[in-house]
Amino acid sequence: MFDTNTLIILISTAIIIILSAMLLTKMQNNKQLQNEVGELKQSLESIDEQAKIIVRTDMELNRIQEELDRKISGLYALQKLSHTISTTMDESLIFKKLSPEYLIELGFEKTFISLWDNKKNEFILKFSLGYTQEESDLISAHINANKERCLSLIATDKTLSSLSALNNFINKNTLYNIFKASYFVFSPILLPQQNSRGLLFAGTEKTETVITEGDEELVKILATQLGQALENARLFEKTWSAQQELEKKVAERTQELSAALEEVKKASQRKTDFVSSVSHELRTPLTSIKGYAAILLTGKLGDLPPQAKERLEKINRHSDELGHIVNDLLDISRIESGKMTMNLGKHNLKDIVNKVDDLLSGQLKEKKINFSLSIDPDASSVLVDPEQIGRVFINLIGNAMKFTPAGGKISVYGRKLEDKMVQVDISDTGCGIPLEDQEAIFEEFFRVENAINQEVKGTGLGLALVKRIIKAHQGKIWVKSMVGSGSTFSFTIQQG
Amino acid sequence: MQVGIGFSAQSDYIKAAKEAADKARYGISGNKADLALLFNTSKFNHPLVLKTVSELLGDIPLLGLNTPAVISNQGTTNNGIIILLFSFPEEIYFNTTCVQEVSMKGALAAGEKLGEDLLYGCKGVRRNLSIIFSDGNIPNGQNIGLGLQKRVGQSFPMVGASTYNQGARKEKACVYFGNTALDNAACGILFGGRLNFGLGIKHGWQPLGKPRKVTLSSGNIIKEIDGKAAVSLYQEYFAKEANALKKELKRISTFYPLGIDIAGKKEYLLRSLSSIQDDGSLVFNGEIPQDSKVKLMVSSKEACLESTRQAAELAKKALGNQKAKLVLIFNSWARATLLGRQENSEIEIIKDVFEKETPLAGIYTSAEQAPISSTNYLGRPYFHNNSIVILAIAN
Repeated sequence: MFDTNTLIILISTAIIIILSAMLLTKMQNNKQLQNEVGELKQSLESIDEQAKIIVRTDMELNRIQEELDRKISGLYALQKLSHTISTTMDESLIFKKLSPEYLIELGFEKTFISLWDNKKNEFILKFSLGYTQEESDLISAHINANKERCLSLIATDKTLSSLSALNNFINKNTLYNIFKASYFVFSPILLPQQNSRGLLFAGTEKTETVITEGDEELVKILATQLGQALENARLFEKTWSAQQELEKKVAERTQELSAALEEVKKASQRKTDFVSSVSHELRTPLTSIKGYAAILLTGKLGDLPPQAKERLEKINRHSDELGHIVNDLLDISRIESGKMTMNLGKHNLKDIVNKVDDLLSGQLKEKKINFSLSIDPDASSVLVDPEQIGRVFINLIGNAMKFTPAGGKISVYGRKLEDKMVQVDISDTGCGIPLEDQEAIFEEFFRVENAINQEVKGTGLGLALVKRIIKAHQGKIWVKSMVGSGSTFSFTIQQG
Repeated sequence: MQVGIGFSAQSDYIKAAKEAADKARYGISGNKADLALLFNTSKFNHPLVLKTVSELLGDIPLLGLNTPAVISNQGTTNNGIIILLFSFPEEIYFNTTCVQEVSMKGALAAGEKLGEDLLYGCKGVRRNLSIIFSDGNIPNGQNIGLGLQKRVGQSFPMVGASTYNQGARKEKACVYFGNTALDNAACGILFGGRLNFGLGIKHGWQPLGKPRKVTLSSGNIIKEIDGKAAVSLYQEYFAKEANALKKELKRISTFYPLGIDIAGKKEYLLRSLSSIQDDGSLVFNGEIPQDSKVKLMVSSKEACLESTRQAAELAKKALGNQKAKLVLIFNSWARATLLGRQENSEIEIIKDVFEKETPLAGIYTSAEQAPISSTNYLGRPYFHNNSIVILAIAN
């Protein structure tokens, strides 16, 4: 049907068509692949762009984290520093305890502290970190060369830093030349109560360190803490010195008083010894005088003219009085010297008072004085020497009778106190004792100046003796009285 | 083998040196010490400290370095001294040596010299570990390790630590050899015999963004990336001019190193930025070969701590059933900066992986040397940045 040529043409055409179709398919695949590569490249670029955002965000987060870490470390260091300096009361130790480790942790490897000395009129270096001795001396010299400027800065109580505008105060370069630190905080130290001040410089050369307002705050807090610690230390020192001075004075006075008391005791002992010896010396001739007078009065040696008898009776009476005085004086000196011992025993208080009442009842009746005795049941038994306590009652009731006008009243009342003691009150409706004499009446030979005392004779030894007897019974005696309203003498003795 | 470890943080550095030496001696129960390592912080970087330690320990080989902070069982402290004393059994051999004036000799040649001298005492012995301490300022410091392995062989691992200059004034850290503190020097130990140890090295940084090609570089300086000035990579990512980047250098260097894609390896090799030059070149803390594929790397505290755990587990696993007698840690200072107040968490993790009482001693470095994969010792040692090397020694 077809010749060979036609067949070849047909086959060739078919091959061309097939090849064209394959080429077309390949081209389409290639185009699709190119598109996919393009899309992949685009995705990669897109991922890279996202990576950039991630990196920038990450960088910012790291920066914040770093700053936060630094602040936490700074706060920790500040807390440690504050604790260290606030627990010492010695000014010199405060600076010794400023730990370089914590200051560095605070973010500053250079620190310089100067305090103003009012006497020397200059700043004195107290602490330096990160500087040699020569560098420190040089900085001190610079500060003192600009002391007026520094003082005016301190007066503002403002904290400055490499962040702040410093130009009003000092040029940054000048400051760098002095302190050799590019980043710094400068804070005043104030001690208002001491009228003192100083300055704290904290600096760093670390280029990656960025001083923030937070750093300013940290250094300001440290400066404030330092100021407070210094002030406390100085106040403590002042108080301590004052206390030491006071204690020294007290010790001196105590020594003086002890010496004086010793002197008084010696004098008192000499007096007691003197009274005792004189009394003894007086008693012997007195006994003789009284004896001879008594013999003469009996008339055994012959009758006496009435005038002589009258004189002898006076001698006899005065000898008795003198004898009483001598006896009282002897008793007082015996009690004081401890030679007289109290024969303490349990006795009925009422019985002791009744015996005295028996002795004095005649006089009471004579003056028409109403005498009453009341002893509470729980106060009836007392631990006393009955003879000596009897003398107490004789003296006190006798005195009451003496100063109570006719028709008056004397009462004795005994009651128990809380501390196993019994209080006895002897009250009268007498003329009373002026307030200013109420202590002195217990001293030897003291007599209240009043009309009755001018008329009635007395030795002024009775109450002195009473006081010593009560004291020897571990008790106390006192008086409450108003002129014109009577008196109440109270004393305490041990319950039996 | 017995290991004695002594730590002290006493303020008087002579007393501290004595205390640390006494504790270390107590740790080896009065046995003769064969080798001493000394790690101390800048406060203790004083000639009298080294003199005191040398006098106290007597005539034994002493190597060490000065570090921003020391690591002990108590944690990390920037104020302390650690002395390690080793008393080896007869089946463990070692030799120590030191090479000085490395910059002048060239790092590679110095490394070769170091290797030759170390071999001198260990010929004919099965060698199994070398440790080197080097000055972090030596240019192309990675070549010291390469030179060393040229001589001592590549069938066993080498670990190393480079000093980190710290502080506002960049106080120069130094390495110790005998009773001398040296800069521009490297010292090393070569162990032979039956020393059982495990090694783990990890960094915890992850790649971010699209890959870039180093189109022009020389040693540790990259001049161009993708045909553009190298600095443009950081400019693009941080949207900052070169001068602004320079101000942020410490932060960028710590947090955003470059990762070199190593063929056949899962982990990227990190290079931290050291400086930015005026012509837009970037200087890194280690070599970056031309035509390398690099990516910007990023990490987080969690990833960093996880990498510490992985490194510790690798080291422990390699010990098999044996218990670690000492865990030596060479840790990048960048990690401490990243972790900030959590720096002690790394130590807690290591203590957690090993037994709590296992003695720990470590230093902070500017660069670390170790195989790229702790489980594969074949090939050359790599120079790492931002990584933690954990070497657990059993017996």
